[in-house]
Amino acid sequence: MIDNLMLGIETAVSPENLLWCAVGVVLGTLIGLMPGLGSATGVAILLPVTLTMEPVTALIMLAGIYYGSQYGASTSSILISTPGDSSSVVLTLDGYRMARNGRAGAALAISAISSFIAAIISLMVLLALAAPVASWALNFGPPETLAIILLGMATIVTFAGENMLRGIIMAAAGLLLAMIGTASGFTTARFTFGSMNLLSGLEFVAVMIGIFAIGEVVHQIHRGGEKPIRARLRDLMLTKDEAKRILPPALRGTFLGTALGVLPGAGATLASFMSYGLEGRVSKHRKELGSGAVEGVAAPEASNNAAANSSFIPTLALGIPGSGTTAILLGAFVIFGLQPGPMLFEQQPDLVWGLLVSFFFGNLLLLVLNLPLAPVFAQVLRIPYSYLYPIIIVLSMVGAYAVGNSMFAVWVVFFAGALGYFMKRYGFPAAPLVLGLVLGPMLERSLVQTSSMGHGNLLIVFERPLSAFFMVLAILAFVGPPLLGVINRRRERSRQEKAATPA
Amino acid sequence: MTESTIGVTPRRTKPKTSDVVGTGILAVLGLVAVIMGLGYGFLGEDGQIGPGFMPVTTGAFIVIASLTEIARLYLARDGHASAGLGGLADELSAEAAAVQKSAHGESADDTASTPAEEKGEELDTFGRTAKQRARTVPLIFAVLLAALLLTQLIGMLLALATMMLALLLVIERKPVLPSVLASAAVLVAAYLIFVQMLGVPLPQGLLGIL
Repeated sequence: MIDNLMLGIETAVSPENLLWCAVGVVLGTLIGLMPGLGSATGVAILLPVTLTMEPVTALIMLAGIYYGSQYGASTSSILISTPGDSSSVVLTLDGYRMARNGRAGAALAISAISSFIAAIISLMVLLALAAPVASWALNFGPPETLAIILLGMATIVTFAGENMLRGIIMAAAGLLLAMIGTASGFTTARFTFGSMNLLSGLEFVAVMIGIFAIGEVVHQIHRGGEKPIRARLRDLMLTKDEAKRILPPALRGTFLGTALGVLPGAGATLASFMSYGLEGRVSKHRKELGSGAVEGVAAPEASNNAAANSSFIPTLALGIPGSGTTAILLGAFVIFGLQPGPMLFEQQPDLVWGLLVSFFFGNLLLLVLNLPLAPVFAQVLRIPYSYLYPIIIVLSMVGAYAVGNSMFAVWVVFFAGALGYFMKRYGFPAAPLVLGLVLGPMLERSLVQTSSMGHGNLLIVFERPLSAFFMVLAILAFVGPPLLGVINRRRERSRQEKAATPA
Repeated sequence: MTESTIGVTPRRTKPKTSDVVGTGILAVLGLVAVIMGLGYGFLGEDGQIGPGFMPVTTGAFIVIASLTEIARLYLARDGHASAGLGGLADELSAEAAAVQKSAHGESADDTASTPAEEKGEELDTFGRTAKQRARTVPLIFAVLLAALLLTQLIGMLLALATMMLALLLVIERKPVLPSVLASAAVLVAAYLIFVQMLGVPLPQGLLGIL
């Protein structure tokens, strides 16, 4: 453990890595601030720029964009009541209320402080858990891998939001996209329709850029953009009472966020909602929630940062991303010729630990930058979107070309962009699709291996204790929520009927 | 919290055509995957998984899920989906959306710092009405398509810079000078980053300049 930390510090404090970590968190803050530009979009657009860097440096910068954007996104929620990323939607409730009450500066400070507390605690959990999880996962055979991938897919479908069925459809569609080309274990070319370009499959990053950059940006235009409302930023200083009220909700948020982030498939967005819900039940000041309570800012903000950090545990140790953004980061690993998973910790310890330790420096820098400078960063909100989106489209296209050195990737971006726009517009969730796309090849490989292990009998996943356990969890995650929904509705109906009869 | 909204008004609403059509397309896609997958071979020799196994099972999942979704669209009361654990999230998002709406509808008392942004009230931030917006999206995709086709002729960077200029001038109706400057700046930046720094051999087209 200590050795690993020392190794990590050694890697992380090299001038080059520190520099790109700083660039990453600043860019992340700015990207997070801009409405409609989330961490997924930021990482997808900037991934091609990191291609010539050392893998560890590139990943440090890309991860910096990810957690940096968690800080920025809350700033725009608070100031203009427009979340910069889906994980800070809840902050528009109390954060923006505080800003309206003349406490904008204080709200920004609360959000930065609770983000930092959460980041440091969850980072410690991450440092402590990542290696044991990875070495535990080293013993996984194909059935265990198969079961845990299915668990990941089941959780993301469950957490996909309003409609589980659509989550299932999109996850399966992502799997189908992943099947295009020649699969590793077979010689048959699938879904290529005679195209040579499709033989090697769809360039993963190109699909991401299309969905998250082009689709997102164009959808923003369809929605009509957001009207900047400027809150006054005097009084960055917290009152004594406010300062005292930060810690308990921040700790509760951190705890919940860390726990949810570890689950493959559940990410920062869900964590922020759940922790706001939790405050509504347990906080001493729960009656003030919704009218600008410190707790309504501290808890969700802490939990989305904690979840963003702890979602690196399944991503790095198991190779199963917990969210759209970590899925893109996983794609980045693959581009650099690295396969996240238990072996990564053995083969590239300097990379893994350097990356994790860099989170500490990144978050420290974010705190220092965000406490006094959040109002300065907020000036980005003045850039008119009409100038911004053409720039994003140009960079996405050139970036896509740079990843594969082919025009084909650019066309993939174009069509994925159109697909992403329609998905966004008609409410089909993107996260399950992306997860399906990333996990498709892994899922098929483990299926094939499991089937050959069981001589054609896939049910051996239920014969081995560990894989059986994961399978049961997966089935519960998949079947449980709709079942609960049905039961709830039944109960509600019978209650209504009972209420109706006496009247 | 979740219980309060579930099944409040048991009323059947007509589903949106876009929902049914979109889900229908997906169902057809799933069916195609199943049929093609069967062609690849569902099981290989000695009953092991063949190259068609994943296409068939995933395709079947899509078909079943989309048909269920379509059935739900017609049968569900009040359009209530089988929300998973995201149910709480949905409620809070709706609440947040309401806050945002009221925030954006508020008078301009604290927007005073930028007079340029306070134009018409019914227009969006781009100065467009809803009708204009619906036309803008296909236009943007058309301009992008044109730029990609132009790449073979004048090279990628020039084509994309031209595209940006077209987006700014024609679609956004920005003044000429800032549009030209912004496009030129992006052209130079993209050239420096991708060609000079990263050494990417971007397509130069028939012109062969950039």
